[in-house]
Amino acid sequence: MSVPRAGDNPTPFPPLVVDGLVKRYGSRTVLDSVSLEVRQGITGLVGPNGAGKSTLVRAILGLVRLEAGRVRVFGRDPYREPHTVRQRLGVVPEDECSIPGLSGVEMVCYAARLSGLPGTEALRRAHEVLDWCDAGQERYRPVETLSVGMKQKVSFAAAIVHDPDLVILDEPTNGLDPIERRAMLGRLVTLTRRHGKTVIVSTHVLPDVESICDDIVVLSQGRVCLTGAIADLTGTGRPEYRLVADGDQEALVASLARHGLVARTADEPTGLELRVDATRPERLGAVWAAARDAATRVRQFEPVRRPLEEVFVAALREADHAAP
Amino acid sequence: MPLHDVGYRPWRGRVATGSAAGVIALTGIKLAWKSRWLRRAVLFAWTPGIVFAFAFFAFEQAVEDGLLGPMRPRLRLDQAIDNIGALGTVIANALAGRPSANGPTTDELRHIVWSRLLLAFMRAPQALLLAIVVGLVAPALVSRDLRAKAWLVYFTRPVREIDYIVGKLVVLAMLVAAITMLPALALWVLGVLVSPSLQVVLTTWDLPLRIVISALTLALPTVLMALAYSSLTLESRIASFAWFATWGACWVAHGALTTADMMAAEAVDRVEASAYSTAMPLDDDLEQRSFPGRAPLRRRPPPEPLQWLRRAGGTDARPDRWAWLSPYHALGVVQAAVFGIERRPDVIIPPVLSLSVLSLVAGAVLVNRVGAPARV
Repeated sequence: MSVPRAGDNPTPFPPLVVDGLVKRYGSRTVLDSVSLEVRQGITGLVGPNGAGKSTLVRAILGLVRLEAGRVRVFGRDPYREPHTVRQRLGVVPEDECSIPGLSGVEMVCYAARLSGLPGTEALRRAHEVLDWCDAGQERYRPVETLSVGMKQKVSFAAAIVHDPDLVILDEPTNGLDPIERRAMLGRLVTLTRRHGKTVIVSTHVLPDVESICDDIVVLSQGRVCLTGAIADLTGTGRPEYRLVADGDQEALVASLARHGLVARTADEPTGLELRVDATRPERLGAVWAAARDAATRVRQFEPVRRPLEEVFVAALREADHAAP
Repeated sequence: MPLHDVGYRPWRGRVATGSAAGVIALTGIKLAWKSRWLRRAVLFAWTPGIVFAFAFFAFEQAVEDGLLGPMRPRLRLDQAIDNIGALGTVIANALAGRPSANGPTTDELRHIVWSRLLLAFMRAPQALLLAIVVGLVAPALVSRDLRAKAWLVYFTRPVREIDYIVGKLVVLAMLVAAITMLPALALWVLGVLVSPSLQVVLTTWDLPLRIVISALTLALPTVLMALAYSSLTLESRIASFAWFATWGACWVAHGALTTADMMAAEAVDRVEASAYSTAMPLDDDLEQRSFPGRAPLRRRPPPEPLQWLRRAGGTDARPDRWAWLSPYHALGVVQAAVFGIERRPDVIIPPVLSLSVLSLVAGAVLVNRVGAPARV
């Protein structure tokens, strides 16, 4: 018996909908009426320790008993149709989990076969995915002897070997050096931008979230205290662009004015910057001509945003005040 | 970047469902087989077959040389032939005491002797080796997964709890088959090959079937118990200890109670004999004439050496009323019933019940423990 692949029949449902989830361990409420919707792209799931992130991930997998609420993954209930849902899910757990005695490639191949791939295809696919993850010859070593970073790669390869539509990663950059970390984040971007996957990254590392995520969900004390597109949340409310340029700043401001752009200087800790009014975005292209006329060189030109960390901390403070 | 790196490619094949148990079983067998000790143990487990192969050969030679006819009148129950010890006893008991005037036909004798030889083979050396080999492999099967949090590998994929349990059971069942069923089937094939005619297959066709059923009977409670122990701890050493302790303790308990029974019976005999001897010499006719209506004095045979082996071979006709207490002895009674050697319901039912309860409890523990991480 075989089932059709997800890609054969795309569903009109959003990748993930969570509605009113309540989970208690004894008297402690770990998830308190959690509701959210995840769209295609990369969503960061962030929150302090004990906020309920891992429990939420387990709830999405149908691995915890819920007191109330419902979960839908591509319109399917993981509690009623776990088989179908898990066919379309790939998970990198935070905990190190492996089958002692298997080599890296055997581990990934085993994961593929458990997901229903035929034998030879599973092995071919395992090697292909490990190549993509830059696993090298280390793949032939027993998993229990691998370094933390290599284990993370094997775990990631095992999660995507069956080409899932939704990938959930719990602390995916743990134990990775800066180069590997960048490579891992790059792979997540490739999966979403080029292959249309949906990725949920549960992490503490806000720069990672800021650099790759489209949306963010902030959990605190079992509640969603902030959710939305990162671009919206980090916006300042005023349409402004940040312009960093070498050379005479006053001449540049004057040149910008001649090209119909309003700019002001801002003294930031990193140096003198300009803030260019972007009320009329169609005029922003004139910045390059204005810089040339003022004999300056543009170093950076980007929308002005609030740091995500600031947004995160503000959301947590607000949640703390609101808590009973 | 390696030359052959083709980047990430979507996979558009069709996935098979319902194959997870087979995948888990195959991988489990592959992992277990990596152990040098296991390979040695399985190889060693085939060596007793050489002794039993000789017994098959000797019997078939006797048939071919026409030795069974003259030998039959000299045979007595519990007597060995030709100093070949327990095997000689097995053969002697199979041949002796047939009710028919002309004795059984050669085909009937062959069936009886082969059945007893196969049962003896599956019970005495193989079941003991099985306990050792399962004790080497089973404790790690579930406990290692729990310790390495490997349950997340399974239950984040389309794998049901029952797939996982069946997969692990099959790993052990294959071991049981490799140690008990396959050598026994090989012995049957050897018996056919050394017999005078291949028509022997027609008269012994049921024996392979009985071997398979007997192996399954052996496998089910043992592997369930072994996996249940494995699922109860993260330390496979503890599961291993519990496994061997259960077999050992139950064996000792069975032996102690059986010995107590025998001692009590001997004491009764002595009292009765002493009461009789004061009045009359111990002669059955005299007893009956002197004490009409009183049951004759039962003279029990003295305890035999290697009684457990005789019981294992199905040559000990005395009911084992404590067999239900020990998995090894309970399995012996049930296997004897499978081979058609033990037919008394009062002897068979208690061990069957005891093994059923053991299997059910072990199965319930296993299901509960395997599913526990997902039921928080």
